[in-house]
Amino acid sequence: MPDWASPVARYILEQGLPGMLRVAVVSLIGSTVIGVVLGTLLTIHFRPSRWLIRAYIEVFRGLPIIVTVFLVYYGLPPLSATLQFSPLNATAIALVLWGSAQVAEASRGAVGSIPAEQHEAAAALGFGWVGRHRYVILPQALRRLLPPLVSLLVNIIQNTTLAGVIGGLELLSAAQRQNERVAAVPPIGTGQIHALEIFLGIAVLFFIISFPLTRLAAYLERRLV
Amino acid sequence: MLLATYDLWGFVSENRHELWHGFVNTIKVSAIAILGSYAIGITLGAARAHRIPVVSQFTAVYVEVIRCTPILVQIFLLFYALPQLGILLNQFTTAWVAVTIWGGAFHSENFRAGILAVSHRHREAALALGFRPLATFLNVELPIGGRIALPSSINTAISVVKNTSLMYVIGYMELTTTAINISNLTLETTEAITLLGIVYLVLVWSLSALIRTLERRLALPEGT
Repeated sequence: MPDWASPVARYILEQGLPGMLRVAVVSLIGSTVIGVVLGTLLTIHFRPSRWLIRAYIEVFRGLPIIVTVFLVYYGLPPLSATLQFSPLNATAIALVLWGSAQVAEASRGAVGSIPAEQHEAAAALGFGWVGRHRYVILPQALRRLLPPLVSLLVNIIQNTTLAGVIGGLELLSAAQRQNERVAAVPPIGTGQIHALEIFLGIAVLFFIISFPLTRLAAYLERRLV
Repeated sequence: MLLATYDLWGFVSENRHELWHGFVNTIKVSAIAILGSYAIGITLGAARAHRIPVVSQFTAVYVEVIRCTPILVQIFLLFYALPQLGILLNQFTTAWVAVTIWGGAFHSENFRAGILAVSHRHREAALALGFRPLATFLNVELPIGGRIALPSSINTAISVVKNTSLMYVIGYMELTTTAINISNLTLETTEAITLLGIVYLVLVWSLSALIRTLERRLALPEGT
């Protein structure tokens, strides 16, 4: 490895990777929990709640995610000072809004695909609506939800790069900072441009993380369906 | 409260020329990229469905690389890394090239699946009638497979339109960049984001409505 490369790689892995992982993990958990709840509620035949959830899904699936990021990061603070978030948190919130809309749509299908007999059997055993879904329906639906959730994780990982747009430190913005530092005149940088190596390295890193996950999603799809 | 001064209409009318220009740029890049990505997707999707050597393997790699790396990284590679090889793309070129390459990868998967879903009996019937392979593709496989691929391909086209907003990172003056830049000067951030939300949702929802109409109009007759 040439001299300039090891501090670049260290900065990206030590400063950028944790930011990326934090946003990805929070977004995945938030999207799954909120999405499954909304998707399950969507199977209830009660018009006002269905309309509200539908509107939520259509809005956050329709908006470009970068606009949702701007909405959370720039649009919420004027409403209330407590709604001021760090770039990484704002990105995670935006990804949860987007991801939960995706999960809600998928889990509506997954919950709807569980045969009516399962509902009836659970009701006959004395379960109420919540218990029926908590112990009988959702455990079965979650199996069918697993492949789309892995695909969602891939999308979330790629979209963590949006945090860099509002100044958060994740992989791509870490690479961009190093790219600028390396190009600066000595002693700060080397005075040489290494953008190609740095951004190709980031692309390879994302590929190494994402590709196995896409294979996993395809494998689960074959196994579980 | 800042919201007391909220004035969406004022924001739009005072900056209508710039915003209109930004909107036109969004539409321009989207239109080029949608056409280009369909062309790439149909060609490469067909090549993959027919397992044409070299092209097929190339497409498989192309699709995985695009799907497994963030589009922002692809944009950065085009805009910041290519100049190192002596290839300088301006913002407009970077914008349409990036989304075209991205959309092409997704479309080639859509059309590969669509063409593979065409029953081989249709293909054999065409060949038996004396159609050459290319004529079989154009007259039989593409019309049927294309219809099967249509809903997913329009979803890809919608994503292409949404992804043009990412050109904010290279400062290309499409709608998002324009609106956010203006709001940085005038502090009308809430207005800018409201406008962006309305415009993109109208664009995306109209295209989704188009899918549903086309699906009904172009639905394959029963039994095919």
